[in-house]
Amino acid sequence: MKEFIVHFPVLAVMVLFLGAFLAEIFGFRSRIARRVILLSCVSVSAAMIFALIPAVFLRGEVLTYWMGAWEPAAGYAIGIGYEIDALGLFFALLVVTTFCLSAVYSLRYMERDRHLGHYTTLFLMLCGSVLGLVLTGDIFNLFVMVEIMTFAAVALTAFRGSSHGALEAAFKYLVIGSIGSGMTLSGIALLYLQCHTLNMAQLSAVLSGGLTPASVFALGLMTAGFGVKAFLVPFHTPAADAYTAAPSSVSMVFSGMVNKAGVYGLIRLVYTVFRAMDRESLQITLIVLGTVTMFAGVTMALAQHDFKRLLAFHSISQIGYVITAVSLGTVLGVSGGLFHAMNHTLFKGLLFLCAGAVYYAAGTTDLDRLGGLSKKMPHTTAFFLIGAFSIAGLPPFNGFASKWFIYQAAWSRAVSTGNFFYTVVTVTAVIVSVMTLASFIKVTQAVFFGQLPAQLSQVREVPLTMRIPMAVLSLGCLAGGLFYPFVSETLLAPAAKAVFTPSVYIDAMMGAGTAQAAGVTDAAAAALAVPGTWDPVLWLILLVIVLLAFFLVILTGEKTRGAVLDDGGQEDDGRYATFFGGERALPSHVSGSDLFWGFRKNWDGYFRIAQGLHSGRVNDYASYAVIGAVVLIIVIFLIFGFR
Amino acid sequence: MELILKALGTLFSVLIYPGFLFVSAVGLLLAGFDRKVLARMQKRVGPPLLQPAYDFFKLLGKETLVPSRANKAVFLAAPVIGTASLAVMMLFLPIFGRAPLSLRADLIVILYLLTIPAVALILGGSASGSPFAGIGISREMVVMMAYELPLILVFLAVARKTGGSELCFSLERIVAWQAEHGPLLFHWAMIPAALAMLFVIPAEVGTQPFDAAEAETEICEGPLIEYSGAPLGLFKLNTAIKMFLMTALFCTLFLGGSGVTVTLGPIWLGAALSALLNTLILLALCLAVTLLCMTLVHAVTARLKIEHLFRFYWTVVAGLALISLILVWLGL
Amino acid sequence: MMTVNYLTAAVLIVLGLYCVISQKHLIKIVLGLGITDYGINLLIVSIGFNLGGTAPIYTLSDLMNGVSPVYFVDPIPQALTLTSIVIGACVDAMALALVIMIHRKYKTVDADEVRRLQG
Repeated sequence: MKEFIVHFPVLAVMVLFLGAFLAEIFGFRSRIARRVILLSCVSVSAAMIFALIPAVFLRGEVLTYWMGAWEPAAGYAIGIGYEIDALGLFFALLVVTTFCLSAVYSLRYMERDRHLGHYTTLFLMLCGSVLGLVLTGDIFNLFVMVEIMTFAAVALTAFRGSSHGALEAAFKYLVIGSIGSGMTLSGIALLYLQCHTLNMAQLSAVLSGGLTPASVFALGLMTAGFGVKAFLVPFHTPAADAYTAAPSSVSMVFSGMVNKAGVYGLIRLVYTVFRAMDRESLQITLIVLGTVTMFAGVTMALAQHDFKRLLAFHSISQIGYVITAVSLGTVLGVSGGLFHAMNHTLFKGLLFLCAGAVYYAAGTTDLDRLGGLSKKMPHTTAFFLIGAFSIAGLPPFNGFASKWFIYQAAWSRAVSTGNFFYTVVTVTAVIVSVMTLASFIKVTQAVFFGQLPAQLSQVREVPLTMRIPMAVLSLGCLAGGLFYPFVSETLLAPAAKAVFTPSVYIDAMMGAGTAQAAGVTDAAAAALAVPGTWDPVLWLILLVIVLLAFFLVILTGEKTRGAVLDDGGQEDDGRYATFFGGERALPSHVSGSDLFWGFRKNWDGYFRIAQGLHSGRVNDYASYAVIGAVVLIIVIFLIFGFR
Repeated sequence: MELILKALGTLFSVLIYPGFLFVSAVGLLLAGFDRKVLARMQKRVGPPLLQPAYDFFKLLGKETLVPSRANKAVFLAAPVIGTASLAVMMLFLPIFGRAPLSLRADLIVILYLLTIPAVALILGGSASGSPFAGIGISREMVVMMAYELPLILVFLAVARKTGGSELCFSLERIVAWQAEHGPLLFHWAMIPAALAMLFVIPAEVGTQPFDAAEAETEICEGPLIEYSGAPLGLFKLNTAIKMFLMTALFCTLFLGGSGVTVTLGPIWLGAALSALLNTLILLALCLAVTLLCMTLVHAVTARLKIEHLFRFYWTVVAGLALISLILVWLGL
Repeated sequence: MMTVNYLTAAVLIVLGLYCVISQKHLIKIVLGLGITDYGINLLIVSIGFNLGGTAPIYTLSDLMNGVSPVYFVDPIPQALTLTSIVIGACVDAMALALVIMIHRKYKTVDADEVRRLQG
């Protein structure tokens, strides 16, 4: 077993690709074969990844695997190597959790679609590519995985070709995605030109000799390239469309792991390969990107009329949080960012599944045509509320814990450097959080509460296999918030340590002493210490005590006090009717999708410009991407200077 | 034995002092003062001081109707959750340096805990299925967005002033700093922030002129429209408790200090006496703040439209807080 | 000599991107993506090229007879280019397939009219 475990990383990826192959052969006709292949592949792969936890997280090892045993010779990495450190495994855990739950959910969710054999193939390819991406130690292999990921993601976006805008979303995604991949590939080519190696550990060692203009150019290109994959703001446009148009089980995979792949790539690039984050100006550049992303994402979300498109913009916004925090360059910031990435996987996955459940049950995700579903779908409503509270950062859910890390990290940077810029970041983060809450209140009101339209009176709760993944994610949201000290000790601290110790990464891959020979030294990073105090478990216990006291009072006093009347009454019985001030029952005066006109009115000009920019033209989107990349490259050149 | 005593002590703090009973009583009292003084300002006699308390008990005895459109569970649970979260929050606010439980919560936690009752109100209103409530929750949310910006700016100014180049969100440390350097209100750079905070309090509590969310005359109390009986009473109680909590938060942030210490007789007697005295001082300060920022403003202004309210908070109030933050940032 | 290669690569990439940005016809956009790809491929091949180098292929007898591998072109970029070409072909094929589907559904291939998702 112990000897065999070294093969797990690569097997976990291969099982998924093998499954994709088998699904195309055997899953074409037979539903059972398809399901068996899907579930067995994802569960085997997940089990293998989970089996790596003790070694990497508890014992602090860095696992390596050389394909075909082509180990480095004379200090040169010839073969393709997989390297699993705590950071890679952290993201791998997010990936396997996401695709396992999504696979279970898709069993019933996708049952009304045709060509499910292709769906299974593409789904497994997507899973395999993202898993490979976070585990690989070879930068060209990483590029190939990125390409497979984009390819499968585009095909899955277009999977429901008959639905509104799916084809167009896929086309935009393909164009912007290809521009991003092209930038990544040119960056890799330039790096190879400079370093004559493709192994990330060796690259890191070689680059410690100083950056040439070509490698600075490579850094700029690859930052932009991974920015496209993580959907940072000038590159975010296809995300909104693709998340909306894809089936919900796929949207969950997109926001749970596909954009995390971009985040992972960025972290790996700037921290491990280039080790460039000791320059504050680069940190600030990335923080500006992240902050703009979170703000633009959330304001656009406030203006949306479609449940899934709203969630898509929130995905963009939350990735902004992650990038901002990770770019702070402190242990607390990186841990907060990783924590938020993990929480985003949980709550955004949950919310997309809820959107899928609404679509499955009601046949639409248009906020103006939904309403009052809480009586028909009580479980989905409960799960949705948990997800909404988590993303809005209400204590004691997980979103609060990670946002709390992020605020403290940003603010401690602000006060320790005396730079007012970080204060602006902190304030923006808080405001974005309130706006997130606002837009989820809007969804709650427009979809689950409010009035039930007549055509939705036949809606029923979704099947059990769709509710189980939602329940698992809800539990995750609650547990992550309540037991954040445990999470930060076991998962975040090792992962953050891996970010700050590139020499360990180099030595594990290229042999001990390589890092020292190359002059790579790790900055003495402090251990993760959360400065504030917040004990959610105790808070919850206290809250429960008060609630219990209330119920005691209610139980003992029921006979004497006013009894709660059951809502068995009819609407036309005046006592149970909703108050309309003597008028005939009218629909709400404010449509569900435009709930906050008091706010919108003040921001009218901003919204007009922002919505105008999201014009839907693929040319515009491509030009944002190109201009954004050019600006980013110029800024990075200015930071490192011409030499 | 020790464990049982500790559990009993916790129960006492949560349910009686300074938990649920204490904040409810003080909140209702403050609300009574508010109404009485307001009436006097308008040359009316006004209700008796205990009128809010009478109203609360009267509502407890009334029948509770659940509209047929409402989601019953959320509709009934929302007020209870709101009250419970408010009662627990008082445990985190130090009364002159002494947080009742050893839990210290920092400012960010307080900021987010404060949103829970507001969200409870919004969800309750939303669950009632009434179109008036729909407008009410929309306004409530906009009000929340409006005051959150000045509030975080005020918090950051306080944190910068008291923490210097260190991260300082801990309320205990803020109070300790004030015990050493004098209350923050007497540092002139913090005066704009204190003013901003005074504006935030009525919006958070929802009193006129910032009560667009409940505007009785236009949308019939907005989120509360379908509520009756005990749940309505709880929501009214929540408003009263918020009145006390927000003013107490103001006192902690700007008028904090070590309080008084009585060294009289045995240790326990001195401790009890000083706790009592400190509480009384806090109450007096809270009353003064209430009169200043809620009653007085209520007496002389009319309700703002929701879009004007938002603009006011994001320009004037946030501007005040920002001035303080910049002044403090410059080391003044 | 290599400068020409690099310049051509840069020109191709810029031309392709310009095509993507400026052209409204969806098929022309796909062509633009293709041109960018070719530019990048040229860049990679050029990186591995050594003027006067031999092919990096040595038989066992060569090595036994002492023909030492001294000066040859770098094989890795060629392998990379192959991979990249394959990926590029796949992407182009899928893009064209999408354009056909879009044409069926929207009855147009004008980028200005294929914009149901916006705002």
